[in-house]
Amino acid sequence: MKLELHEVSKSFLDSPVVKELSLTVEPGQVVGLLGPNGAGKTTTLRMILDILRPDKGQITFDGKKINRKIRYRIGYLPEERGIYQKYRVIDVLTYMARLKNMPGNKSRVEAIRQLDRMNLVDYVESPVHQLSKGMQQKLQFIIATIHNPELVILDEPFRGLDPLNQKLVREKIRQFRKEGKAVLLSTHQLNEAEDLCDYFLLIHHGETVLQGTLAQLRKKFQKKLIIVESPDDLSAIRELPHLKKVIVENGRAHLYVEENAPIKEVLREIVNRFEISRLELYEPGLNDIFLETIQHAQ
Amino acid sequence: MKALFIIAQWEFWRHFKSRSFILATFVSPLLFALMVLFPTLFLENPNANQPRLIGCVELDSTTICQKIQQRFETLNSEKPSDIPLRILPIRTDTSQAMKERFLRIAQMKHELDSLQDAYNKIKERRKYIFQKPRTRKREKLLRQTYEQLSATREARDLAQLDYQKARAELDSLWHMEIIRNADNLLRSQTIEGYLLIDPEEFASGVVEFHSLLPASFLQMGSIKQAVQIVMVEERMRQEGLRVAKIQELLKPVTLKEIQLQGEQKQEFDFMVTYIGPIIVVLFLFISIFTSSGFLFSGVLKEKTNRVIEILLSSVHHTQLVAGKILGLGLLGIFQILIWYGLTLILIGLQVLKTGEISFLTWQNAGLFLLYFVLGYLFFATVFVGIGSLFSSEEDAHHLNQFMRLLSIFPIVLAVLVLESPNSLVVRILSFIPPLTPTFMILRTPMGNPPTIDYYISAGIMLGSIIVGTLFAGKLFKIGSLMYGRKPKPREILKLLFSRL
Repeated sequence: MKLELHEVSKSFLDSPVVKELSLTVEPGQVVGLLGPNGAGKTTTLRMILDILRPDKGQITFDGKKINRKIRYRIGYLPEERGIYQKYRVIDVLTYMARLKNMPGNKSRVEAIRQLDRMNLVDYVESPVHQLSKGMQQKLQFIIATIHNPELVILDEPFRGLDPLNQKLVREKIRQFRKEGKAVLLSTHQLNEAEDLCDYFLLIHHGETVLQGTLAQLRKKFQKKLIIVESPDDLSAIRELPHLKKVIVENGRAHLYVEENAPIKEVLREIVNRFEISRLELYEPGLNDIFLETIQHAQ
Repeated sequence: MKALFIIAQWEFWRHFKSRSFILATFVSPLLFALMVLFPTLFLENPNANQPRLIGCVELDSTTICQKIQQRFETLNSEKPSDIPLRILPIRTDTSQAMKERFLRIAQMKHELDSLQDAYNKIKERRKYIFQKPRTRKREKLLRQTYEQLSATREARDLAQLDYQKARAELDSLWHMEIIRNADNLLRSQTIEGYLLIDPEEFASGVVEFHSLLPASFLQMGSIKQAVQIVMVEERMRQEGLRVAKIQELLKPVTLKEIQLQGEQKQEFDFMVTYIGPIIVVLFLFISIFTSSGFLFSGVLKEKTNRVIEILLSSVHHTQLVAGKILGLGLLGIFQILIWYGLTLILIGLQVLKTGEISFLTWQNAGLFLLYFVLGYLFFATVFVGIGSLFSSEEDAHHLNQFMRLLSIFPIVLAVLVLESPNSLVVRILSFIPPLTPTFMILRTPMGNPPTIDYYISAGIMLGSIIVGTLFAGKLFKIGSLMYGRKPKPREILKLLFSRL
């Protein structure tokens, strides 16, 4: 299922929450929706799910506006999630599956199958409150995906999970990609996003500040930082041309190079002037990109 | 539509299996019925309670107290369901000092009588002397007897004055003693009150009643009736009527009340005509507030534990609200049907007699069901709308209390219906949605309201439900999505009329 957001905007009480956001999620692609708290991620997800209607712009699924049938093809794991505590695991799963248009018997069979896959089959008849917090998180993951959706929207799926269960969820997301499902992942755990996502959209105050694949994002940032380590005194490195900012500390220098500066020339100059024990054109991680972009945007 | 029924089914079953439903369906009505019927059983069985004693004292040696007692017992035997009251004539035992005073009075009276006799004898003797021929001896005797007469008369007059003074003092003391004795019995709670019969005041129609509590608390109706009958008897006796004739004339009147109900007439019974519909209304409220309460707490819990977000990703918010309202409404109807079933069983067992309880008809059963559905739907929209705006059960606690108070309000106003079921005020109040179900159900057996009132009230309820549902749906959406903070009233108003 191909999801397309075209210049979508949303305001609450005259305050804009999402501004002209555009995004495409292709089948077999994991897209990371990133941004600090209050950036507008949850509102975007709610608009995709038709819980909220955009004020402007359009959201389409395979070129069509959302309808009841399309809704059944989407799985959603919300950030603020809960579950009926007093009722049996099987009853809760069956109810949620039936709401996703699964027939009663099939939803029961599928619930048991999914519970087995998540190592929860022993708790089929147990009331939910008897399950540990981690088990309940897994149960919520099953609820989001029991109906075999084509688009899976996961809002902070790793929150509250121990490393073992985080691994289990990671594997599930990879499996979705293999199965050709589109996954939209909203998370603050940037290392997880970096590991899982094929495409990233970074929003801040409702506006898109950065988007692309990790390679594209890195390309934008990699030219900018050179790390130098030398037994020589590196104070003189500040005199080199094309540098925006230099930090020298304990025999190590971080050189922030000007936009469009001739990198090769700068590197050659460094090698000529100093005895080098380490020279690295730093490849920034998603975390660095995130922090710098947000700081820059502020 | 399918999702709506799935939600309705889920809501029905999960609450049907809950302990709260069993409590509300069986235990609460049972407790309620016991609360209503227990005092009635208590009153109807005189053996269940020791009779309460009402004393009767008289300031004379007439037998009015005994007559009142006899008359009261006769009246009570004709109405066995009355309060078990007993009238007890109080005899005052005097102290030794009082007895000596009485003895002295008796001696004084004896002396007075002796002096009077002596006086009379002297007078007789003088008459006898006077009839003799005029002689010097006669003149001498007349002089002598005159002196004796004067001395005796003086002595008698003085003795009479002494006697009257002593007698007045003793009477006063005697009355005080009687009252003191009766007051002591009252203070020790041996009696709950006493009638004080002063013959002179009794003749003019006044009897005092002394008690610790106001007389109305003691339900004095039958005692007052007995006193009145004895008073009339006494007056008639003085007029020279025979006792048998008096008793025939004073036979108590039985007022048989017949109420016109539609084309039929039915004997009026306070318990059946007034208390019956109030019990039905209270059952209706148990049902409406059980279902609406489930709805309120359900919405609140789903909001607090964030199940709502998952549900909203699967179904539209109007489907979710409608499904909940439908499911819990069906649960309420099921609860009423259980009560109908129990009523039919009681009728089958002859515990309830349809012949005596005129409002137990299929037509009224249908009307009760109609007003339950309308009342439930109305309160459901109110509960969903307001409940959605709270983010925790603690926050909603105060509102819940307020809603409970609101639920009692129509029952308080029900007094107006009891007084005049078809008055203009009652008719207008019947068309105010929160009051409509209570008022129409109370009016149906009592006042046989005009058919147009059913149409108007049902129409207004339907209109209110439609408007309420639109607002409730929007409020539900606002409340569900504004998790973590309570929206301000101004924000709610603005969001209500904006696109979400």
